[in-house]
Amino acid sequence: MADPQPPQRAARIAEQDEAELVVRAAAGDRAAFGVLVERYAGVARRVARAVLGNPEDADDAAQDAMLSALVKLDQYDARRPFGPWLLRIVANAATDRRRRRTVRRVDPLDAGLTAGGPRPDTTAERRALGERLRQALAELPERRRVAVVLFDVEGYSHAEIAAVLGIPEGTVRSEVFHARRRLRALLADWKEEA
Amino acid sequence: MKEPLPFDHRPDTVLGEELRRALDPGDAASFVARVLARAAEARVASWDAVLARWARPGVAAAVLVALAAGYLVGRASAAPAPRPSVYDALMAPPAHPGEVDIVLASVIGN
Repeated sequence: MADPQPPQRAARIAEQDEAELVVRAAAGDRAAFGVLVERYAGVARRVARAVLGNPEDADDAAQDAMLSALVKLDQYDARRPFGPWLLRIVANAATDRRRRRTVRRVDPLDAGLTAGGPRPDTTAERRALGERLRQALAELPERRRVAVVLFDVEGYSHAEIAAVLGIPEGTVRSEVFHARRRLRALLADWKEEA
Repeated sequence: MKEPLPFDHRPDTVLGEELRRALDPGDAASFVARVLARAAEARVASWDAVLARWARPGVAAAVLVALAAGYLVGRASAAPAPRPSVYDALMAPPAHPGEVDIVLASVIGN
């Protein structure tokens, strides 16, 4: 199944029916919960992966967060957007998991990847670029990672990201700015080297 | 005063697209199916938990009801026979008729 969300502003899904879906899901309507899970699976997994790095851990955290959200649905304030509420749970679940897990053995990156590579025209090259981006992302502070992913990948506003991360909007701007600077430099290097 | 950050308020589509690709988890269907299966299990488990939570007070309540019922039944069966009315006492045949005759004879004799 393809990710049902559009590339940009993925979490900006039709919100008019969302409150109703939440009410139905809270009342035990599995189909309604299924729609919410399908809608938010992509962004939840990406945010969790931005925090955790490891895709399996990220999926576990995203899953835990979805189930936790299901239990807490009666606490959700329907006057507020659902996405930031859910993503806050996701980010917290991922952060908790990162704190809990023991240090994993991390396979060192291929020297070719860290030293740069050709323009990402082929699948292998694109995979390599993805690896470099993930590595660069992993070097950023956690909050900065989540902020840039929510802003540039998922299309959330500063106010929404502030709600997800529990920080002021100005801090969100700063985090996105610094993350972008690092990641844009990496992309520019890649293109120059190509 | 701090210089404001030169911040572009629009999402960076190029960076966003590359990051999206880099973080793409793939196979959304199996993830969604897994979450829904776990949710169904959790719902069953929560019902079990509810029933388990109610089981102990339920047993305690049943024991109390049984004790109360036993007490009431026992009390009802052990209760003394109703006291005879004055009329019944007067009209009942005497338990020892001889004694009555002696008493009457002595009274009449006097």
